[in-house]
Amino acid sequence: MGRLPVEEVRLSVPGKEDCIIAKSEKKGVGLMSAENMEYLTIALPKGKVFGKAAELFKKIGYTAEGLSDKSRKLIITNRDKKIRFIITKTADVPVYVEYGAADIGVIGKDVLLESAKDVYELLDLKIAKCHLMMAVAKQAKRAHLADYANTRVATKFPHIAAEFFNSKGMQMEYIKLHGSIELGPIVGLSESIVDIVETGTTLRENDLEEYAFIADATARLIANRVSFKMKFDRISKMLEDLRAIIG
Amino acid sequence: MCREKNFLLEIPYGMRDFLPHDAAIKRNIENVLANLFKVWGYDEVITPAVEYLDTLTMGNKNSIQRHMFKFFDKNNRTLALRNEMTTSIARLVSSRMQNDDIPFKLSYICKVYRYEQAQTGRQCEFYQAGVELMGNGEPTGDAEIVALAIESMLKAGLVNFQVCMGQVAFINGLMQQWNLAQDKQKYIRRALEKHDLVELDRITAETALPDEARAFLRSLPMLHGNENVLKKAAAFALDEQSKKALDNLEKIYDLLKNYGIDKYVVFDLGVIRDFSYYTGMVFEIYAPGLGSPLCGGGRYDNLLADFGKNCPATGFALGLERLMLALKNQGKTECLTNSKENYVAYAEGRLDEAVEKAMLLRDAGEITELAGSPQKLSEAEAYCRAKNYVNLVYIQ
Repeated sequence: MGRLPVEEVRLSVPGKEDCIIAKSEKKGVGLMSAENMEYLTIALPKGKVFGKAAELFKKIGYTAEGLSDKSRKLIITNRDKKIRFIITKTADVPVYVEYGAADIGVIGKDVLLESAKDVYELLDLKIAKCHLMMAVAKQAKRAHLADYANTRVATKFPHIAAEFFNSKGMQMEYIKLHGSIELGPIVGLSESIVDIVETGTTLRENDLEEYAFIADATARLIANRVSFKMKFDRISKMLEDLRAIIG
Repeated sequence: MCREKNFLLEIPYGMRDFLPHDAAIKRNIENVLANLFKVWGYDEVITPAVEYLDTLTMGNKNSIQRHMFKFFDKNNRTLALRNEMTTSIARLVSSRMQNDDIPFKLSYICKVYRYEQAQTGRQCEFYQAGVELMGNGEPTGDAEIVALAIESMLKAGLVNFQVCMGQVAFINGLMQQWNLAQDKQKYIRRALEKHDLVELDRITAETALPDEARAFLRSLPMLHGNENVLKKAAAFALDEQSKKALDNLEKIYDLLKNYGIDKYVVFDLGVIRDFSYYTGMVFEIYAPGLGSPLCGGGRYDNLLADFGKNCPATGFALGLERLMLALKNQGKTECLTNSKENYVAYAEGRLDEAVEKAMLLRDAGEITELAGSPQKLSEAEAYCRAKNYVNLVYIQ
C-alpha cells in the first residue's frame, strides 16, 4: 500500500502573539515599580500618636497637603518631595512596614513588642509615653505576684503578657480582649489585666491598682529591613534630622 | 453547616504545592544555577534531609533548635530535618572526605526545613541553592563566593538588587579592644541582629566607654556606603583583629573589581547575619519589595574544626522561592516559563506520520504535544487556542 503524500499545515495560532506581548509589557505596579523606588512611604497610626508624629515630620520638612487622620483619603502624596503617607489602624503599622508596603512607620513600642515583627527599630521618638503593667482589683489584692499563678489575665497584649509571666515561671490563662480591658476584673472575667497606662486615671476610676511594672513604651520610628538598605541615604538623613530635633 | 472537615485535601502548616506554572519557573532557575555552579568548578553533593539534632546544631547551639522539626529514631536519639546545608556539608567533608585534597568546592540545590512563621517566599519547607568553598582562607575565596552569588542573581535574570558586605570580626575585635564585658558583647550583638537601634543606644549608654567610642558603636548599623565607610571605621580600629577585618574587606572589594561586579556591592558594617558560626566577611543580597534578604553567606572558619577537621571555609545560600518572588516583582519570570510550542494533530489514518513529525520536533528540543486521536482541522485549531500552543502541525 503506497503512502499518501503528507501535507503539513504549520500555522500560528491567532491571538497568541498579542497575548505574549501584552504580558511582557505589563510593568510591575506593586511594591517594586520604579515609582515606589523613587518614593518614601511613611505609615502613621490613627489616633493619639498621629498628631504628634505628623508634627515631628513637619518640623524636618516631611509633610503633605491635607495630612490628617480624619482624612478620607488613605494615601496622601507630596509629589514635590516624593513622599507618601499612609494612615492605618495602629496595630497594622508594623504589618505594612514588615511587608515593605511602607518603608517607614511610627508605632508604640507596646504594639511593636506584641507584633514581634522583623523590622528596624530606628529611634525612640519620645512621644506617647506610657508603660505596660499588670493591674489587679484593689479589693481582692493578693500578697505576692506568685499568688496569681494559674489565674486568668485579660489583655490586648497576650504575647507580652505571656513573656512576662513565663519569665516569672508562672503559667496563666490569657483572655484576649480588644478594648476596655479594665472591665475584666470588675465583671469577674479575670483576676488581673495586662495593659498600657499613661496617667493611671482609668485604673483608679475602676478600682484597679497597678501591681507589677512590665516595660516602658514610647512611639518608635521603624523601617522595613530592605528599604533601610535600598533607600539608605534618604532614611539615614531622616533619622539624623529627627535625632537632632528630639535631642 | 456541620459537614465534616476533609483533612485529606489539606496540607500541613508551612507546606506548599507548586502547580505547573511555578514548578516550571523553579526548575528553569535551578537549571540555570546548577549549570552556573558547574562551570565555576563546584561539584554537587547530596546529603540526607534527616540528621541527628546534635550534628545540625553544631556551631549554633540553642539559637536554632526551636525552629527545627524534631522526632526520634528507634533508639530514642533526637533526629531533625536539616534547617540549612552548610552544617551538613561541614559534617560530610569532615568525615567522608577527610583525606581528600583541599580545597573542596561543593554545591547543592535542595529542600530545607524551618518551623517558623510561613511567609510568601518562605514556607517551613523551602528550597536553597548554594555553594561552599572549603580550604581557601584567603580573600580570593571570599571574592569568588560573592562574585558567584552576584552571577547567580544576574544569570537568573534579576536586574535590581544590592549586595551589602560586612565583617563580623570587625565588630568582635572592636568590642574586645574596648574590654567590654562578655554579656554586654552578647547584648550588643543581639541588638544588631534584631536591628534594634534603640536597644543598641541603651546598651552603649550603660558602658563606661569614652563618648566618641560610644557614638561610633551606636552608629554601626549606619556604616553603609562606599569605601569612605572603611576609612571612617579605620579611625576606631585599634587592635589587630578589627584592623585586619577592615583590610580584608578592602582586599575582597578590590578583587571584586576584577570580576567587574563591584557596582552591586556596598559596605555595610551593620550586617552580621543570624547564624553564629560566621567568623569573617558576611554578606546579604536584597531586592526591592522583599522584606528579607534573598541570599546570604560569608566566612565560617571554625565550623569544620568543631567536626574535627581544621579548615577555613566560606559560602553562600540563596532562597529559591524568594528569588522567584523578586524576579516576579521585576517582571522577569515570563522568560522562565515553558511556552507550549507545537501541537501535532492528524486526520483519520495519519497517526504514523504524526508520530514521526512529533519525534522530529522533540529531537530538536521543541515542546511538542501529540493529539490522542484523529481530529478535524477546526477541532485542532480550537484545542491549540485553548491550550495556548504557538504552532499547530496538522497532518492530513
